[in-house]
Amino acid sequence: MSKKSVVSEAQEIQLAIELINLGARLQLLESEVSLSRERLLKLYKELKGVSPPKGMLPFSTDWFLTWQPNIHSSLFVNIHHFLVTHAGATGIHAVMKAYQLYLEQMPPAPGEEPVLSLTRAWTLVRFFNSDMLKLEPCGKCQGKFVVDAMDLNGGYVCGLCHMPSRAGKTKKAREAESQAA
Amino acid sequence: MTANDMMAEIRDANLSYLMLAQQMIRADKVTAIFRLGISADIADLIESMSNAQILKLAGGNMMLARFRFDDSAILGMLTNYNKDRSLAQSHAAILMAGQPVEEIA
Repeated sequence: MSKKSVVSEAQEIQLAIELINLGARLQLLESEVSLSRERLLKLYKELKGVSPPKGMLPFSTDWFLTWQPNIHSSLFVNIHHFLVTHAGATGIHAVMKAYQLYLEQMPPAPGEEPVLSLTRAWTLVRFFNSDMLKLEPCGKCQGKFVVDAMDLNGGYVCGLCHMPSRAGKTKKAREAESQAA
Repeated sequence: MTANDMMAEIRDANLSYLMLAQQMIRADKVTAIFRLGISADIADLIESMSNAQILKLAGGNMMLARFRFDDSAILGMLTNYNKDRSLAQSHAAILMAGQPVEEIA
């Protein structure tokens, strides 16, 4: 084993802090940061004041294909793709930067969680790397959207050009409307 | 507005554009490349410019920044969309992120 460098360890801790502040779960930290599990746990508790959530990460690609998550994840993937091809960003840094830019474009309502969490965004990038999901241009607006790589996507039209009739009509939206009226 | 005023305004806009771009690139190059929609080569170029060079470049009577919507679809979406405004903006953001960057040929 190579000798431990204090400087690189400090950089890893800095990276872990940024990731935790963006809402990363422990599984993400364990695979992207080369610090021991105990140290990550301590760091998480110190920053958030609570133990990290337990249990498995969501592992289905279906979530990314439903209407609202699809728009958010398409935006994230487009930004991530741009950063990787044009700005030379790589690995977890590209994911982090893309996620920060995504949050700027789609700021969550005050007191609410963003639709796409950092852990989900990271999972999304892994799905792309393993060719389970891909980008398909919409036939109407030419924007690229996340689709299942196994589906038949001839003549694909995105969820924004062709809105499903019940899209966005959630209980929350109705309540907000009745309050405004 | 006389032609002279217009030229002065253009020079002002050029200077603020270049200074802002340089600040953005120096603070965080990766995000700046995305926000400005330029290639990494151009970003390097702007980053390395001295104040005197910026002043010289901004002093011309030609506009330096170009209109980024060469696509009528995005433009139409941002200006006359009949749906939710936040939806229109996210749609435009997706299309903008998929656009090619401005490059040195």
